[in-house]
Amino acid sequence: MATFSDAVRERSDDELVALLRARPDLASPSPSTLRSLAARASSRTSVERALVHADTPTLQVLEAVLALEGELPAVGPDDVAAAVGAQDPDAAAAVRGLLAAVAEQALVWDAGEAGQPDLRPAPGLGEVLGPYPAGLGPRRDPGSPAPDLTGLDSAVAALPPGAREVLDALAWGPPAGVVPPDGTAARRAVDALVDAGLLQRAEARTVVLPRDVGLALRDGRTHRDPALAPPAPRSARTVREDTADAESASAALEAVRLVDVLVTAWEENPPPVLRAGGLGVRDVRRAAQTLDVDEATAAAVVELAAAAGLVADDGDAPASYVPTTVADAWDEADDADRWAMLAVAWAASRRTPWLAGTRDEKGATRAPLSADLHRAWVPRLRGQVLAALAGMPGLAPSTGDVLADLAWRTPRAVPPEPAVEGLLREAALLGITGAGSLAAPGRALLPVVTGEPTADGGAAAALAGALRAVLPAEVDEVLLQGDLTGIVPGRPSRALASLIGRTADVESRGGATTVRFSAASVTRALDLGASADDLLDELGRRSPVPVPQPLEYLVRDTARRHEALRVGTASSYVRAADPAVLAGLAEDPRLASLGLVRLAPTVLATAVPAAELQAALRSRGLLAALEGPDGRPLGRLRRPPRIDRGPGRGARSAYAVASAPVSDDGRRALVERLRVADGGGTRSPFSSTAAGADAARATVGDGAAHAILPPPTAVDRLARTGAVDGVAGDTLALLREAVRDGEHVWLELVDAHGRPARRRVRPLRLEAGRLRALDTSRGAELTVAVHRIASVEPDEGG
Amino acid sequence: MADGPLIVQSDKSLLLEVDHPRADEARRAIAPFAELERAPEHVHTYRLTNLGLWNARAAGHDAEQVVDTLIEFSRYPVPHALLVDVAETMSRYGRLTLTSHPTHGLVLQATDKAVLAEVLKSKRTAGLVGERVDDETVVVHPSERGHLKQVLVKLGWPAEDLAGYVDGEKHPIALSPVAAPRTPDEAPKPWEMRPYQAQAVDGFWHGGSGVVVLPCGAGKTIVGAGAMAKSGTTTLILVTNTVSARQWKDELVRRTTLTEDEIGEYSGTRKEIKPVTIATYQVLTTKRKGVYSHLELLDARDWGLVVYDEVHLLPAPIFRMTADLQARRRLGLTATLVREDGREDEVFSLIGPKRYDAPWKDIEAQGYIAPADCVEVRLTLPEHDRMVYATAEPEDKYRLAATAAGKNRVVEQIVAQHPDDQVLVIGQYLDQLEELSEHLDAPLITGATTVRERQRLFDAFRSGEVTRLVVSKVANFSIDLPEASVAIQVSGSFGSRQEEAQRLGRVMRPKADGRTAHFYAVVARDTVDQDFAAHRQRFLAEQGYAYRIVDAEDLGVVK
Repeated sequence: MATFSDAVRERSDDELVALLRARPDLASPSPSTLRSLAARASSRTSVERALVHADTPTLQVLEAVLALEGELPAVGPDDVAAAVGAQDPDAAAAVRGLLAAVAEQALVWDAGEAGQPDLRPAPGLGEVLGPYPAGLGPRRDPGSPAPDLTGLDSAVAALPPGAREVLDALAWGPPAGVVPPDGTAARRAVDALVDAGLLQRAEARTVVLPRDVGLALRDGRTHRDPALAPPAPRSARTVREDTADAESASAALEAVRLVDVLVTAWEENPPPVLRAGGLGVRDVRRAAQTLDVDEATAAAVVELAAAAGLVADDGDAPASYVPTTVADAWDEADDADRWAMLAVAWAASRRTPWLAGTRDEKGATRAPLSADLHRAWVPRLRGQVLAALAGMPGLAPSTGDVLADLAWRTPRAVPPEPAVEGLLREAALLGITGAGSLAAPGRALLPVVTGEPTADGGAAAALAGALRAVLPAEVDEVLLQGDLTGIVPGRPSRALASLIGRTADVESRGGATTVRFSAASVTRALDLGASADDLLDELGRRSPVPVPQPLEYLVRDTARRHEALRVGTASSYVRAADPAVLAGLAEDPRLASLGLVRLAPTVLATAVPAAELQAALRSRGLLAALEGPDGRPLGRLRRPPRIDRGPGRGARSAYAVASAPVSDDGRRALVERLRVADGGGTRSPFSSTAAGADAARATVGDGAAHAILPPPTAVDRLARTGAVDGVAGDTLALLREAVRDGEHVWLELVDAHGRPARRRVRPLRLEAGRLRALDTSRGAELTVAVHRIASVEPDEGG
Repeated sequence: MADGPLIVQSDKSLLLEVDHPRADEARRAIAPFAELERAPEHVHTYRLTNLGLWNARAAGHDAEQVVDTLIEFSRYPVPHALLVDVAETMSRYGRLTLTSHPTHGLVLQATDKAVLAEVLKSKRTAGLVGERVDDETVVVHPSERGHLKQVLVKLGWPAEDLAGYVDGEKHPIALSPVAAPRTPDEAPKPWEMRPYQAQAVDGFWHGGSGVVVLPCGAGKTIVGAGAMAKSGTTTLILVTNTVSARQWKDELVRRTTLTEDEIGEYSGTRKEIKPVTIATYQVLTTKRKGVYSHLELLDARDWGLVVYDEVHLLPAPIFRMTADLQARRRLGLTATLVREDGREDEVFSLIGPKRYDAPWKDIEAQGYIAPADCVEVRLTLPEHDRMVYATAEPEDKYRLAATAAGKNRVVEQIVAQHPDDQVLVIGQYLDQLEELSEHLDAPLITGATTVRERQRLFDAFRSGEVTRLVVSKVANFSIDLPEASVAIQVSGSFGSRQEEAQRLGRVMRPKADGRTAHFYAVVARDTVDQDFAAHRQRFLAEQGYAYRIVDAEDLGVVK
């Protein structure tokens, strides 16, 4: 078999399949011939790709094959084993296994006959592994005679002093050295070594140790020791298995609690989505406060909740993050199932929460939930990190230890330390590790992270089961004490957790939960509609001891005060000095539509406006006077207050443009614009619009002072419903033209607050109802929804 | 481990289930290193603090013991981080020691060079130490011994003080086996120290200097006397006020071989310096023209022992003065290590570590202090008063609520329910107290009452001649009213914990007939008075006393 290409061609079908499985890049795009497959398999890119995930012993074996080629008549597996220092039979067998694997990947091929192996490196391998494989120098020039290496020691002893030291320095690489200056003893030694053929001149000022001499100095070894196993962790603490599991369980519960608190908080108060996507700094800080954790942890919790699909961008305008329907399933699930939801989501997540708050290349802060935190390599690294942890049972390795392990796994692609640290922190947060050591629930996650995807429900159920096995038993009672505290001596059941969540404040969490009852916490429960008796009854049922007298007193006393003052909403009221006048009104079926509520014998309230109430009373024959907020009678309903907007600003109002023209000039301008939009006008669209806009502006000048500006939503509605359609069609054509020609235009915009603005911009792109344009005077890009553009005029000057 | 009485929380609190069969065993095991934070009926909360752990180290416990104890008694696996933290904190104590060097005098020695380098680099130690003797030793100015210890605690590297003490001037003192009679008609009765008192004295003496924590009424004075007898030297006793000084004197005369002539009082009124001198904090902290004019007292004799009564009330200036007394043995006596000013670490560094501690409940269980029943009586203010209160300025509200007129009637009612008890009525506002004193026809003691009159009334109260006494807050500290079995609090300043401990102490003394003591607090409903009462309630319930709240209207039904 002469060439690598032949070797590939002679592979069996199974072997070829195995090759394509091991190196998927060879199959896409499909090569046309086996020859081209061989060519691709030996290409630098493909080999590099194959090596990037190779572990240290594999690389050692490859280096050995590469280094020995040509130094031995034929390289066999035993030669490789001896070269990497695999002395005992087990290690030698391991090396043979590695050789078989690299042969399957076509990184090494066998040029020998059956029984006479002659291993050769794949053609691209030398290029990828560099000129000095295993730190050995280049092969001797064929021209220069090889010295006798059998008596190397005595030969060196005969050379000038220093020669031995030079050889020793170069023996384990790097094999190149700088030639010392003339006239020194070192130079004499080097020269003598060169003369003896033990060194070769490489360039003018350097010498190299030829490979045969290097191997001889190393006693034929390419490596000092075979790195068949990952390095032992240096700074790992031992952690007992039950400790790890217990810590994992409490971390898991805490993670679930944090996510739950976050979802609840966002339900009530959804944070806005930044314009560029993601959660703003202030909202991260607020989440951290709500959760009572640091901001990094808050970011991780936020990402976790989003990964599990519990919260998402609602896509509204303005957009905010809100709980999804997945949160409904979450609400129904127990702690273990909730955790499984989080763990499964985390296993597949491509997010890097630890980068949140750091700055990107442009100096902008990376926001949680933004696209900035997306990294495709995260799942693979997560799998590696967990595999590394799985390889250290009973140990809590430091980040350095894990990194060393990963470096052994993929020396050619060592992951960045912050990523490893970030993943370890996430693993700790989620309870994958307990006290830093991979715990039982974490081990249950391994197949999900590293293996083939199983049925989703199955994985989640298995995970939940693994967590349940380590969770402390649920406790369904709370010990109530006279100092208004309660102790749940274990993990509270869901019903109990809900009870104490409603009625008390948690003081300490962990193996047990201590809570404190206070007027404020009891008020909270009362606010949710419970009565004092309900609460005391529920507490009494959950407590193995009677409810202490002070607690009972507190609940009753708070309930008494809770109802002493009541607040409600009403739009209007009717009052009378004489209760007799109001008697029967609330019950009158003819006034039922008013929904009158008796607040006092002399006061009824209703949700309908005062005018309606007055009219309804009139229709029933009751004369009622209207009174103002100060209680004084009012002649008639007051007009809504008017807003003072100066004429200058009003003139630019988009609303004014859209409003019906009040003068004939204005009407004419409008007609002309409509014509142009129709395509019937004869003048250039640019100039006609300019005139139209000017006219419209002039028009509004006198009308605007009296106009009441509607809120921005009204402007939007007007713009959308077609009040400015005449302008819009035209606008788009003008904008498209400007985009095409790269011309400047004047845009008349309505900003988010409903205020008009006039900007000179160069439109860049128009798509999906949005215009991207460059504001040349500010040097900034702006994106604006087309419906917010009131008018466009060409920039005559530019 | 599976079913231990203890739950260790990661926030360093320890929850002890009282009814667990191994609860007592666990309590004894954790007492050396954990501070009892609250002791309500079912679950007691202890807390691990740095000072507590260092106290334990000072008492000879090591981290391994602490960790083993936690693991042994814990119901659930102990949080790993906490164990690591315990070991780490405890290893910090004793890396630095203060010792006497044969040639250099007082030196700070480190077993760990890096630690010494770290503390010497700190700005705070600048000026407190002299030249470096070697890598591990540095000379300390003897006058800065206290300051240095203070600073080292703040830096997190508490030094163990092994430099020893001056012997002090010898003065033989012994405990007398028979307590001298107080009144001529009383018979002398034999007595001896209670076991826990003897343990406290031994604990202190063994440790050299430090603090003994005993509940009010547990006989701290006797621990002081015991320590003086052990020492057999001249002694300086610092107390909170003059009445307290007199009582110390009385007790010492009764219980020891000391005679009246050997005991001097150094107070605002008298300035005697005798082999045993009792001085008040106040006179020591009196400044004249900006200087402390009575400091010479501290050097007036070669004191062999300094006793600090109520060390949790020790004013800050005395800490400063005391910093110079580091060469003398110091004994601190207190009911609580909690200081409202948060200077616990100064007590630790300047007086010394805790040498003995016994929770109230334990001593109560041994029958040395009376069990107490605490009742809060809530009084609904009449409508008129409520209107006045609602519209009052914030600064007047407390006074209005505290001195509500209806309280007098409630007090009368309570007093009537205890016809055979010695009743003490305690309040803050003088006009209210005067009114009450008239209503109840009981003598009134205020700050204006002369010491002589005070003592007379106290004696009369003790002998049962007077059964009702109305006192202002002067009575809060260190008076001894052995037979008060009912205390009624009508007003008090802002629910401070110390005050509460003191008030309860008034009634916590053991009763001859083992009666239950009663502590009533009369509170105006829906006012700030009630808010302050909430603090009191929490404190008392945390101390493990039964606490009830009743409405004034239901008072008749209660008892």
